Amino acid sequence: MQERSSSAAGQPAIVARDLRRRFGAVQALDGLGFTVARGELYGLVGPDGAGKTTAIRALAGLIDLDGGEARILGLDPARDGAVRERLGLMPQQYSLYRDLTVGENLRFFGRLATLPAARYRERAARLLALTRLAPFVDRRADQLSGGMYKKLALSCALLTEPEVLLLDEPTNGVDPVSRRELWALLHEFVDGGMAVVISTPYMDEAERCHRVGLVHHGRLLLEGPPGRLLADFERAGHARPTFEELFIDSIGRAA
Amino acid sequence: MTGSRLLRSLLRIGAMAGKEAIHVRRDPRTLGLALVMPVVMLFLFGYGVSSDLDHIPLVFADQDQSEASRALARAFDGSGEFTVVGRPAPEGVEALFRGGVAVAALVVPRGYQRDLLLGKRAEVQLMLDGADPVVGNQVLAKADAIARVESQRLAGAAFARLQPPLQVKVWTRYNPEGRSALYMVPGLSAFLLAITAVMLTALAIAGEWERGSMEQLFASPVGRLEIVLGKLLPYLVLGLLELLLVVAFGALVFDVPIRGSLPLIMLFGLVFMAGMLGQGLFISVVAKNQLVATQAGALSAMLPAIILSGMIFPIENMPLPLRTISRLIPSRYLVHGLRGILLKGNGLDVLWPDLLAMALFAVAILGLATARFKRRVA
Repeated sequence: MQERSSSAAGQPAIVARDLRRRFGAVQALDGLGFTVARGELYGLVGPDGAGKTTAIRALAGLIDLDGGEARILGLDPARDGAVRERLGLMPQQYSLYRDLTVGENLRFFGRLATLPAARYRERAARLLALTRLAPFVDRRADQLSGGMYKKLALSCALLTEPEVLLLDEPTNGVDPVSRRELWALLHEFVDGGMAVVISTPYMDEAERCHRVGLVHHGRLLLEGPPGRLLADFERAGHARPTFEELFIDSIGRAA
Repeated sequence: MTGSRLLRSLLRIGAMAGKEAIHVRRDPRTLGLALVMPVVMLFLFGYGVSSDLDHIPLVFADQDQSEASRALARAFDGSGEFTVVGRPAPEGVEALFRGGVAVAALVVPRGYQRDLLLGKRAEVQLMLDGADPVVGNQVLAKADAIARVESQRLAGAAFARLQPPLQVKVWTRYNPEGRSALYMVPGLSAFLLAITAVMLTALAIAGEWERGSMEQLFASPVGRLEIVLGKLLPYLVLGLLELLLVVAFGALVFDVPIRGSLPLIMLFGLVFMAGMLGQGLFISVVAKNQLVATQAGALSAMLPAIILSGMIFPIENMPLPLRTISRLIPSRYLVHGLRGILLKGNGLDVLWPDLLAMALFAVAILGLATARFKRRVA
């Protein structure tokens, strides 16, 4: 994957600076920080409970932070409602309406974004074609397979063609073919200038990102383009390393 | 707000309301709760929970065994108000009371016919089961009326001369027959609207939290107030339909009059619903869970509507603390208002305090609920 730098494209589209948030005894975010440029796909990679979902929610302005700041396109997502006009989110859990059809779900989110009818039709048709959901437009969401459901959720998030897209474990529970299709779809939009943060527990998916941040206990252990991270790790004496080995090694050194 | 922003806001509210309408259309439970329940409840309360007693089970302990005593028994049995269910000896009456076979016993002593023939006052003894004072009072009144008619028959023309010089006539206005349905339908409207509005709203919004769609909504351009209004609008319409259904059903089946203005009934329903929807919203914002929201919704909507609204129990008879609490219950004002409009033909000039009280509640609870409805998922 080609490396892209957040500084190269001017002001970062996404800024997470020293994010802190505690839930009871759990420090979900413990000074997490990273930036993402326009046209960059940034992967937040880490195991369950690492703080990925909390980080995505903080970037979307859906939780109050104990410390640090999040900025989307220079705006505070927790305070400035204008952010939501330019932001797309695909939450980790099933977030669509299961008793609505594919078409009705898309239409609903199109109407929430007050898309003009012609633009909605054009975008919906394109997304349905890209995701190959067109034949299922009248099928209820609760009758879709896991992969189809995720593609629909992604389509709903992409309908407004947001400048910033936040995806929380979009490939969780999705078959390999659908995963490949989802990534291909994402890259098509990122190539158009969209800034994307994607969280995933799958280490193999890190290689599909321009840059990755390895997250553990709400902190960034390691960050950089996946190829360079692996090359550095190999130079440190690990033959043909995988991301999983790199991650486990990083946790061990952090402890 | 500029025209363009207002238009976009209205479009988003429309989108929310349209989506909610699809949920309602596709969920038979919602439609059942809103449209079938009123009819069932109306039947139950109109017929089953009637406080108009007839065919009261009565035992007749006849020690006189005379033509006059048998005539008295026929007078009770043939009135339709009482049904003679046994003719025990006086000492057997107690057992029939205890067993619940009868709620009244008429004991005719020996010498009843003889006293009548001698022109002396003939006494009979009426025993009542006073466990239920409502029943007891009705039995007493009905027995007294039948005894009077029987006395009149026995005394013939002479009865007129025995009348006391001052005769008090009781004139009951608005519901002279004392029919329960007339009293119950306005009360039932408040109960049904309260339960529908609070439960459906609580469920609808808690459902968004539970299925995770609230997170998606919060990240979209739709505003908090737009979510609230969009979600509440379909239930407001549904509630008004329900009110129309109850009023129409009450008029057609139970002959409940509509003496006042129908638009005023709808206005009362609208303002009341706004408050109840706010209550449902508040519950769901706090609970964020359909099970808890259902229980809290049922408790907070049903109990006050049944107990403290005056639907069944007169507010005037309540102790001061309950009377004071009832002033905070919007159902009280709707029940009073609807009785006024339906039965007395009252207008806003009389009922404005009820409307004002409901409006104040609606503004307060909707404000509180919207303030608590934060755009945060944790």
